Amino acid sequence: MNGEIYRLEKDDFLAFVNNLINSFETIGVKEKKGRFVFSHLESAAELRLDHDVTILPPKKFFLPPYEKMIKFNVGEQKGELLGDNAKRVIIGVHPYDIVALKQMDMVYMEGRPDELYKQRRENTIIIGSDILRVNDFSFASSLGTHVVKDGFDLMLTDLGKKVIIEIGSERGRKILMDYARNIKEASDQDIKDVENHRKALPDRYKVKLDIEKDQIPFLLMDVFEHPLWEEESKKCLQCGSCTLVCPTCYCYDIRDEISLTLEDGERIRTWDSCLLPDFTKIASGEIFRKDKSERYRHRFYRKGLYIPMRYNFIACVGCGRCITACIPKIADPANVFNTLSRRKHESKGKLVYRMIEGVEAESHILPEPAVIRRIEPLTENEKLFEIELLSRDSFHFEPGQFVEVSVFGVGEAPISISSPPSGDNRFELVIRKVGNLTNRMHSMKEGEKLGIRGPLGKGFRVEDLEGKDLLFVAGGIGIVPLRSLIKYVLSKDNRPRFGKIYILYGARTPKDMLFMDEMEKWKEVDDVEIRLSVDTCPEGMKWNHSVGVVTTLFNEIEIQNPKETVSLVVGPPVMYKFVIKCLEDAGIKDTNILVSLERRMKCGLGRCGHCQINGIYVCKEGPVFRYSDIRNLPEVFQ
Amino acid sequence: MEKRIEVHHLTRVEGHGNIIVEIDSDGDIKRVKWQIPEAPRFFEAIVRDQNYEYLPFITSRICGICSIGHTIASIKAVESALSIEVTEQTIELRKLALHAENMQSHSLHVGFLVLPDLFGKKDVIEVAKENKELVKKMLKIHKLANRLSDITAGRTTHPVSLAVGGFYSFPSVRELEKVKKEIEDCKKLLEEVSFGIEKRMEVFPDFSRETEYISLSQEGEYAFYDGSLMSSDAGYLNGDYIDYIKEYVVEISTAKHSRHARESYMVGALARFNINSKYLSDFARHISSIFDLKNPCFNPFMNSIAQLVEIAHNMEESLDIINSFLSRGIKEEKISKVKPKEGRGVGMVEVPRGLLIHDYVMDSKGRCKRANLVIPTNQNHANIQKDMEKLVSEVKDRPKDEIENLLKMLVRAYDPCISCSTHSLEVKVKWKG
Amino acid sequence: MKPRVAFFDFAGCEGCQLQIANMEDEILKLIEIVDIVSFREISDVHSGDYDIAFVEGSISRPMDEERLKDIREHADILVALGSCACLGGINKMRNRFDENELIESVYGDKKLVSNPFFNVHKAKSVDEVVKVDYYIPGCPIDRNEFKRFVISISSGKKPELPNYPVCVECKKKENPCLFDEGRLCLGPITLAGCNAICPSRGSPCIGCRGILEKPATECIEEIFQRYNIDYDDLKDKWNMFNFGDKIWRKE
Repeated sequence: MNGEIYRLEKDDFLAFVNNLINSFETIGVKEKKGRFVFSHLESAAELRLDHDVTILPPKKFFLPPYEKMIKFNVGEQKGELLGDNAKRVIIGVHPYDIVALKQMDMVYMEGRPDELYKQRRENTIIIGSDILRVNDFSFASSLGTHVVKDGFDLMLTDLGKKVIIEIGSERGRKILMDYARNIKEASDQDIKDVENHRKALPDRYKVKLDIEKDQIPFLLMDVFEHPLWEEESKKCLQCGSCTLVCPTCYCYDIRDEISLTLEDGERIRTWDSCLLPDFTKIASGEIFRKDKSERYRHRFYRKGLYIPMRYNFIACVGCGRCITACIPKIADPANVFNTLSRRKHESKGKLVYRMIEGVEAESHILPEPAVIRRIEPLTENEKLFEIELLSRDSFHFEPGQFVEVSVFGVGEAPISISSPPSGDNRFELVIRKVGNLTNRMHSMKEGEKLGIRGPLGKGFRVEDLEGKDLLFVAGGIGIVPLRSLIKYVLSKDNRPRFGKIYILYGARTPKDMLFMDEMEKWKEVDDVEIRLSVDTCPEGMKWNHSVGVVTTLFNEIEIQNPKETVSLVVGPPVMYKFVIKCLEDAGIKDTNILVSLERRMKCGLGRCGHCQINGIYVCKEGPVFRYSDIRNLPEVFQ
Repeated sequence: MEKRIEVHHLTRVEGHGNIIVEIDSDGDIKRVKWQIPEAPRFFEAIVRDQNYEYLPFITSRICGICSIGHTIASIKAVESALSIEVTEQTIELRKLALHAENMQSHSLHVGFLVLPDLFGKKDVIEVAKENKELVKKMLKIHKLANRLSDITAGRTTHPVSLAVGGFYSFPSVRELEKVKKEIEDCKKLLEEVSFGIEKRMEVFPDFSRETEYISLSQEGEYAFYDGSLMSSDAGYLNGDYIDYIKEYVVEISTAKHSRHARESYMVGALARFNINSKYLSDFARHISSIFDLKNPCFNPFMNSIAQLVEIAHNMEESLDIINSFLSRGIKEEKISKVKPKEGRGVGMVEVPRGLLIHDYVMDSKGRCKRANLVIPTNQNHANIQKDMEKLVSEVKDRPKDEIENLLKMLVRAYDPCISCSTHSLEVKVKWKG
Repeated sequence: MKPRVAFFDFAGCEGCQLQIANMEDEILKLIEIVDIVSFREISDVHSGDYDIAFVEGSISRPMDEERLKDIREHADILVALGSCACLGGINKMRNRFDENELIESVYGDKKLVSNPFFNVHKAKSVDEVVKVDYYIPGCPIDRNEFKRFVISISSGKKPELPNYPVCVECKKKENPCLFDEGRLCLGPITLAGCNAICPSRGSPCIGCRGILEKPATECIEEIFQRYNIDYDDLKDKWNMFNFGDKIWRKE
């Protein structure tokens, strides 16, 4: 202890708490049927500082389980960010929860801060409390989170008759001085008492990690294919409790709720869990991480490898909440890490993993107003929309990036931009009818309003493609993001900067082929070879090109200079494996294969967690990836 | 002229009932039938072998409207069979829950189902077009009743807080304070609603048929939660209910009928009023005076008015209970310990439509061996039939539509709960397996 | 145009329709967005011309099957309302017994069986007789879920049930887990959507919204040992609403 330290007699401390209750929304630890919760204090007498752990962490005050983010009007498509101005004081936060909050701050306040989280965080005073009672399942001392040096405004140590108070911030100092009476400077004995209390704590923990916490990521790299995942997950009820009570889990879902008048509503953010089967489900119904054991494993990898790689901290503070809440008692990180380290040799496969540089999203929570300028039906299920942003004159993006299209009352969906960068505030989207939002889009008319967030994600870096031959491989709707780049490189100004261009494009039937008229024009450009195929051609339908899956088209072209060719591949998940094999057979290096992946990119900001493939966020480090960067990620092409 | 009235699936009642009347061209009444075509549900079979703890949850599902009543009757039967003692707080909370349900059911009946008759409309939404304030007030009272059910029983329909031996959860002081204010506000609304309804009383026919009334009764209190059987004809009916309440099958109906001394008797708000009116609170007396409702009243149409009077009484009694909780506080009491044993238990309560009896025989493991459930509406079916017969004979010369309308109103006045009544009653069931 | 909706009930307690009447002031808003053309419990209005049919109750007689099929023919969308309709619910508990014997023992007269009112077969869920487009489970249904359903349909969104168990909602409400008190709660395996109303009131989940997924036996055995739970208790709770063993989530 080396900050400013004071002492209050117990009665004066209780008076201090009562004064806070009279002036702020004051939250404290209270008893609830034999367990503890953070809840509104009505008097200091309710406050408990002898709690082992609360059911939910204080996270619920910053990222509430159910949060109204935006208030909107359906007809006008107008939205307004909902704030929370309450000045709060939270009393009794244990050190491990303070560490967790610091971690949460990195996720929600760095880069482009989450406005709502930030507002709550800044309006809240954290009064910590030393741990008096150790939770049976906690292993905080193994992670060093049983004590904390900063991250609080005040830190209390309840020593019975007296409460020792350490100042952690200027506003903490102010609140103590303003609302407490009979404040005395802590004596040497007081400080010694606190230090002794803290020193004795580690011995009181029943659960301990057998390995150093810094070793956890390395351990996990070795045990990706360990039998333990299957063994333990068999018992998993998939109830999501372990993640819901976790102070470091921060994934969320977003949905729109409208009132019975159908005129207004709110965009809601709720806690989500990667243990739940639908977590990765995309509009077309596809589910990634389909197996229970994969989802079970994913949680431990997030805690011990993925988040540490990204933020440089172990995303577990050892509070023991997950194991308390887990009914079959299989959620315990300490037990899992200890078992894995003991049984490391049983693993059949490693995870080779490194971070990929990402793009900071150019977006906030609230979408920007936009209008549909033009609608062009393309096929039975696809329409092209030209969108104009109303709040700005220009919209800069790179081919391959996407936007979140928002229709208040329906929701949001990630859609790739399919026009080339133009410099003005208009761009094109091709939308296939698959879910609620895209269905609604199909019923909309020119002139109708909607919202846009973006551009988001990492696109194709055109400067890296200069001077190369380009081989485009598109399957189905994969032509949409590729069209942005194709049109860019084929434009008169840009064409000389690139070598030979091949375009291989396959769809299910001739009816599903997009942009056939444009293909005719692209063909006319110098040194462009286009090959088309359909999986099947129904009888009676005209089709002058190949029949078969897209890979059959590789037989129709000769890649002249494979070493200097970059291939750009976009298609349905099943396509990649086969196309990439053709490309590698043709001698194209994996560093020269660029793919764009589809996942459930819900927030587009690298936070909600739905688009995660192993440790990478598709919305942030993708959707365009260099194949060499992801080829070893087991969750990429399942 | 020959008149044939067939009302299938009578509206604005709970469950399915048919009215069939034939009057020949000479004006002779050929047929008057109150018929129940509702699918029988066999709850006595359903509860067989079930654990005592779940009997209240299962039997609650007999009726969506009086599920709190069924739950409490079931709990009382189990507690009596297993000799479980409960605390005074538990009893007070249960009484509060019964008041809440009685208010809820009565305000639904008078406000949603009878009001359209009084105003000659198809439903309450149509009534609201011209009498918005009246309907809004009624809705407010109904809402209050639902809120009181929510905080005492966990929810209005199929309660979750009520348990054998006590309560799973308790209302908070804050909730009680809030609902207390609401009750106080609603008392005034009820008075205004009563004046509004009184203006339409000419719609009810001047009809009267003396019959027997049966309800629970108890010294010093207008009985809902507890009491002994009392008959308007014979006074206290001491001993086992089974010696008094005779159930019998009517071929045309999937619901059984009941009788005591006469061919039929009536249970429900009017029966309670006729037996227990001396225990009504002042406010309830005030409401009854608005309608000049006096004991004894033999007009079944006035059952709806007796319901309004009971709402007033429920409000007053609820306030008393809440006030005493607010001064004493609410304790989070643990549920009484239960030791299964063999035995029979009978639970009798007054629910919105009248006397409800759950009667269980338990085995040594605390499972139900045999059950008998006496449902209010079953007890009323015979009386409805008798009233219909008399009413038809008095109005047979009127136009067919008018007769039909009066008959529908008559049945509605009883607030029949047909799903309940076709739960099917058994006396001696042979079980398979 | 506003969708025209009709309510129908079969063997059940009508508690689910009551939840709609219990929407209080909101019912006036509801009728602004839908046309209620038939709702026997509270209105004389009746028309055979409707888009959406809400069907409450289990199906237990041939005469009811005929009526249900007729409803299906008239409706564009048929919604099973409540657990009796969605699962068969509490009514299926009687399927343990032979129905003819039940009638005989209850009404004491075999002749009754020839009366169509008494011609009872095993209780069935609605989808055992006709195709069901959407389900709103619960005993009774949750008013808010019904509201969300109507809003979704009216605003062109596909109504969806949650695909996770009650635990998710229970945890968000910060309820102490009932297992820790040694009480068996079906929350971990029951379809959510009720906002965990029972465990929030200290009363274990009894699975009224239907079993989401059958847990692995490995898990059940361990849990029962750890929490000292009786296997019969699972049977009792499970059978209350899930006698038919319908499982929502099929892999």
